[in-house]
Amino acid sequence: MDQKLMGFRCKSCGRIMYPKHERCVSCKGMNMEEVELGNQCTLVTYTKLYTLPEGIEMPPLTLGIVDFGGVRAFGQIATDEPKIGMKLRPVWGKLRRLGDKDIYGFRFEPVESG
Amino acid sequence: MRDVAIIGCGMTKFGRLEGKDLMDILVEASLKAIEDAGVRDKEFDAVYVGNMMAGELVHQTAIASALVDRIALFPAAADRVENGPASGASAVKNGFLAVASGLADLVLVAGGEKMTSADTDVITDLVSTMTHPTAEYLHGVTLPALAAMLTRLYMERYGLTERHLAMVAVKNHANGLKNPYAHIQRAITIEGAMGSQLIADPIRLYYTCPISDGAAALVLCSADEAKKYCDTPVRIAGVGQATDVQSVHEREDPAVLKSVRLAARKAFEMAKLEPKDIDVVELHDAFEILEIVQSEDCGFFEKGKGHIAVEEGVTALDGELPINPSGGLKARGHPVGATGVAQIVELVWQLRGEAGERQVKGARRALACNFGGFGNNTVIHILERMD
Ligand SMILES: [Zn+2]
Repeated sequence: MDQKLMGFRCKSCGRIMYPKHERCVSCKGMNMEEVELGNQCTLVTYTKLYTLPEGIEMPPLTLGIVDFGGVRAFGQIATDEPKIGMKLRPVWGKLRRLGDKDIYGFRFEPVESG
Repeated sequence: MRDVAIIGCGMTKFGRLEGKDLMDILVEASLKAIEDAGVRDKEFDAVYVGNMMAGELVHQTAIASALVDRIALFPAAADRVENGPASGASAVKNGFLAVASGLADLVLVAGGEKMTSADTDVITDLVSTMTHPTAEYLHGVTLPALAAMLTRLYMERYGLTERHLAMVAVKNHANGLKNPYAHIQRAITIEGAMGSQLIADPIRLYYTCPISDGAAALVLCSADEAKKYCDTPVRIAGVGQATDVQSVHEREDPAVLKSVRLAARKAFEMAKLEPKDIDVVELHDAFEILEIVQSEDCGFFEKGKGHIAVEEGVTALDGELPINPSGGLKARGHPVGATGVAQIVELVWQLRGEAGERQVKGARRALACNFGGFGNNTVIHILERMD
């Protein structure tokens, strides 16, 4: 089954948050519903990390902040040639190995143009 | 609330302190502060110790009680205060509150961290655990990565270049050379900095602070009593602290350090002062980009113009608004729990006119910004010479 990157929408004021807060960051409302963040985002800022955290093998590790039209997320960017404003999409996979566990989550890969 | 004054201060040299453990350096800084205040024979009511990770790094907990034991401060109230890299300033704030409220008359505030005995990888990982556990940490974030993403935004929006980061580093190394307590006492060049190893593009090794051991301490009492102990007490004129969302991507604007803005606003309101009234500043340059961004978000320069001030020498030791005369975290070093206390020790020396070769002439009012997490918990103090 297809995994989707989910955000959390406050039922009182409509604000969408990622990650989840038990109380809405805008209105302190406590009723949240899960919503899909969507399939397309743009790169806001990035870094290519050369001093690697545990469980990442090959430098550089590209990390960045992406924007889904108002809601942002942070994660690994699957390219060595990041550009601010480039179009990306979330893809589920193994992120890194931490202790004796494989960590899975969404990373963001460029959407091929054309 | 009554006014609170700093009547004594002391610190260890910062650096790789071989043969001294965490308690040794906390004791050394505390005794220096007690001697400086001339209160050796007095009873302390409370002790606050800023420390981020003694349990993890040196396998010791409850270090405030241990400090009381080593220097016989019984039966003083004793608490360790943890607020990430702003643990030091949070300890100072707690000391301030204890005296201001009247709950305590004489308070010792210390901050310390012993870091150089641990592996760099372990420290980088421990510090990364301040970030959001699932939305940031699991993805492999590190503090240099967060600082690099902020730098990139500044380059895009405001025309900051790598050279500006190098200029801040060169300035802070030059200041550190005049500070006998600084970890790194070596001049560097722009070219040398720009040729150093890439850590997190565009951040190079020389745009980051070193890993250090060190401790610093202050003695506080009410401003009314201060003159009894000290010729030139320094009043804590303003205290401000503010928090923000933990994940950097969730900030209203990831290029704005909102917790710095709000903490500064509160501190200035309490002190009834404005940024233009400040003569000397210590900022939290764990990464050189942070000195630039904090100098704006504290209100000293317009947003996006901090790097121009660096370029024009405004923030140099002989400039209009000297920033980090101590050498900052970059050259003095960053034993995390000690930093916020050490910033204030430096400013007390500056306001008393005891800062030697790095003295900012005629300084009467000062601001210290201690930055916790990656900017989600900032503590700012404003100090004023009393005479
Ligand atoms: Zn809401």
